[in-house]
Amino acid sequence: MAKTPLQAAQSTDHGYQHHVVPTWKYVATLLALTVLMLLTVGAYYVDIPAVGPISGTVMNQTVALIIACTKTALVVFIFMGVWWGTKLQKLWALTGFVWFFLLGLILIDYPMRAYESVQGWEGERGKAGHGQDGSALPRVVTPSSQDQPVAPDEINLRPRG
Amino acid sequence: MSAIGIPAPVEEHPHDTRTNYLNVAHTLKSWLTTGDHKRIAILYLISISTFFFLGASFAGMIRLELMSPAGVILESETYNKVFTAHGVVMVFLFLVPGIPAIMGNFILPIMIGARDLAFPRLNLLSWYLYMIGGGFIVASFVGGGIDTGWTFYTPYSSMYSNGQVGLALIGIFIAGFSSITTGINFIVTVHKMRAPGMTWFRLPLFVWSMYATSVVIVLGTPVVAITLLLVLLERVFHLPFFSPELGGDPVLFQHMFWFYSHPAVYIMVLPAFGIISELISNFSRKRIFGYHFVAFSSLAIAGLGFLVWGHHMFVSSQSMYEGLVFSLLSFLVAVPSAIKIFNWTLTLYKGNIRLQSPMLYALGFLGLFTIGGLTGLFLASAGTDVHLTATYFVVAHFHYVMVGGSLLAFLGGLHYWWPKMTGRMFADGPAKVSALLVFIGFNVTFFPQFIVGWLGMPRRYHYYYFAPEYQVYNVMSTLGATVLALGLIMPLFYLTHSLFSGARAAANPWGAHGLEWETTSPPPTTNFYETPIVQDEVYDFDPVAEYEQQRATSEIFDPGHPHRRIDKEGESKPGIAGADHSSSRAADGQKEDR
Amino acid sequence: MATIAHPGDHGHGGDHGHDDHGPLHHQFEDIEQQNECYIVGMWTFLVTEVMFFGAFFLMYTVYRMYYQLDFYRAHEHLNIPLGAVNTMILLMSSFFMVMAVQGAQLHNRKQVIGNLGLVQLCAMGFLTIKFFEYKEKFADHLVPGVNFTQNAAELHGANLNHAQIYYGLYFGMTGLHAVHILVGMLVIGALGAMWIKRDKLVTEDYVPTELIGLYWHFVDLVWIFLFPLMYLLPKPH
Repeated sequence: MAKTPLQAAQSTDHGYQHHVVPTWKYVATLLALTVLMLLTVGAYYVDIPAVGPISGTVMNQTVALIIACTKTALVVFIFMGVWWGTKLQKLWALTGFVWFFLLGLILIDYPMRAYESVQGWEGERGKAGHGQDGSALPRVVTPSSQDQPVAPDEINLRPRG
Repeated sequence: MSAIGIPAPVEEHPHDTRTNYLNVAHTLKSWLTTGDHKRIAILYLISISTFFFLGASFAGMIRLELMSPAGVILESETYNKVFTAHGVVMVFLFLVPGIPAIMGNFILPIMIGARDLAFPRLNLLSWYLYMIGGGFIVASFVGGGIDTGWTFYTPYSSMYSNGQVGLALIGIFIAGFSSITTGINFIVTVHKMRAPGMTWFRLPLFVWSMYATSVVIVLGTPVVAITLLLVLLERVFHLPFFSPELGGDPVLFQHMFWFYSHPAVYIMVLPAFGIISELISNFSRKRIFGYHFVAFSSLAIAGLGFLVWGHHMFVSSQSMYEGLVFSLLSFLVAVPSAIKIFNWTLTLYKGNIRLQSPMLYALGFLGLFTIGGLTGLFLASAGTDVHLTATYFVVAHFHYVMVGGSLLAFLGGLHYWWPKMTGRMFADGPAKVSALLVFIGFNVTFFPQFIVGWLGMPRRYHYYYFAPEYQVYNVMSTLGATVLALGLIMPLFYLTHSLFSGARAAANPWGAHGLEWETTSPPPTTNFYETPIVQDEVYDFDPVAEYEQQRATSEIFDPGHPHRRIDKEGESKPGIAGADHSSSRAADGQKEDR
Repeated sequence: MATIAHPGDHGHGGDHGHDDHGPLHHQFEDIEQQNECYIVGMWTFLVTEVMFFGAFFLMYTVYRMYYQLDFYRAHEHLNIPLGAVNTMILLMSSFFMVMAVQGAQLHNRKQVIGNLGLVQLCAMGFLTIKFFEYKEKFADHLVPGVNFTQNAAELHGANLNHAQIYYGLYFGMTGLHAVHILVGMLVIGALGAMWIKRDKLVTEDYVPTELIGLYWHFVDLVWIFLFPLMYLLPKPH
């Protein structure tokens, strides 16, 4: 518990100070991080089979993210010293990541667009009830490259005159 | 006669000749390289006021243009540039930094009993970043202006607009970092630099709201910074982020932009709430009703405010079901604000109300913010929003909360702390007239806009020849704007006049409670001559108990100085030993009637 | 509120037997408070940086969700071994950074200077590899804009528009990250110079070194996420 300035003034220990971490812990962490990195590269070359309804792609991605999160935890707790830090530090480290996930709420919009059933809100591409709307983003989630690549003169990259 | 009279603002004792933060050094360099939070606050006061009047002059042009159904003085493209300029300057250069940078910087360290903020040099950097950002924004106006609206919707801003969007985006990016540094400073200061005995629940509510504001700044501003940076990258390097031709999603920009810009409006209004708490309790000489509720509601607004951004996007192809969720959350976020309004109103009840100019602003706030908040509910309800969005109803709503709310609180706080900041008392007569003019002018300007918006007048249009029936409301609005302008210009005169010829202020000219009133006006550079130790909560008013004790002991309290009494000869003296009630109450920290 | 002022009370309690602190700024009561403030302040800044990069990651997620196959095809142009080497370099630089901070805690000047030098070398190496990667992309016409390749075959049949979005995100995110590395290098350079000159600000108190360490670890963290998300895209089924 962080001390009030009065308590800090009266204390004889050194509050937030020196917790000197022994070198071997740092080396061990570096080794662990290296192993995890090699694991994540290795996992890339391995096609993880689908598990139930979850596709192989998602499995691969999940594995990669879990490894990345583990590496993050190692760096945050050991290299950045949060393991031995004050409660306020721990709270701050947590808040940053929690708040980042709040940004993720924006992602809810995209699948929800499929549930548009308001008449007249569908775009040219859409038909009522099929979840097509006029938004710029294509509706298809399946591989979109069935269509031919666009011919050069059709790509309008410099719309400004 | 009531013993609790109106305190005399003029000092009864010889002028304090000790050096204070103003006269400790006189060179320009000492001002421009200062680390003193009070000097930085004054630097901000001058620059923010200048930008305010710049933004207000754009508003004047808008109102002049709208007097006639066909354009009067501006072409369409110029009008677009004028309302964009008004929005950008008012939002990014006045409302967002306004109260935190001026009153927060000046008063917050003193309120918690600290000598300065945690990072004084970072504070100075934040002012320089603000000036540089403001410079870029003004450069964008001078270089041709921007016509995208302050919301910079893509793909117009990122691909098609021919204005100086790049310069403006750089300016806002830099000003955003000014805001972030201020937020970091406040968070660390409030956590770590409170005086001995100043626990969280003894903090003045202004500090609670500044803390909540800083949390919002720290969590939200980086998102808009990156979003605007992405628009800039798309504009300059053609990196496709929001362009529909390449499969990008313009609505993603809206999501990311409003993810900050909705919490941004809470950055604008939470400090105002803090000031109102101070004004209402001190000018009714009564402990704020429901301190804990007000404190926690600030945090609730800060948190919930991050969950409602979609209510700006009900008609932007966002799914209807998502709209439903955002609508519900927007209704919920109104609840903590309403709790505050109830608490302030109940603070007034049975209080000893004194109607000096800061209080007039606070009372105006109560009414106008309530109207603004309630009209926000019309917009939060998705069904009505479909009809009211992008009309003048929205314009009127946010002006009620921003001008009727934030600006009035800003002016109230400025008048309240003016004697503390400058050591001079201004004449209250003109101040009251000015407050009244602002209130009347404001209502005449913006209330007709609710009606004309409901009738269908779109916002950001400079002609409405297709609906000449709107003209009467627009003319009324412009008329009100003239009165409002008068009310806003007046403080320039009587406040400046007070700097030269005002009466020298005592330490506590309003008879208020708070650590800032225990130090001299103006304070010394280190804020206090001796470190304060806090033993009781801040809102230590108790008129009934005080009055009864007076009658029992026939002592008369000197309202200007809590530790002094007025004896039979009418002289103010230190309290009689043993019968010095305020310090004996402090010593045991108990109150019978809590 | 009732307050009692204590003249001359500056709250200096406890002993200061060991000479562990640099200059104490006037607004702080003691060095513990100053250090705590600096650490909390730096963490607050890092939270803002998380939100800053976070929005970029969000945008990446949105477009990746919709253009999975095109992103996969476009990413195949990236050099994974080089990316892995870069990741290793940054992990090592993080290690050297903590060793430098440990050196500051133990007042071992040589350890600090040596390790900071190694951090700089690592950062330089990272940027060099990045430079070569970028050069390759420029040469292969993979920079979004008018010069972007029109040959879909080069990108394994990916939709060229979506591939441009991918490369826009690639350059944007790795570019922003590289800017942070550059700024970090400048700051570490300044820190190293202060240690060499035995500036009391850094030699007497380890916190300034720790603060820069925190920033550097954050930069490493961003790359820990960037590497799998940009280079190691799994094959869409």
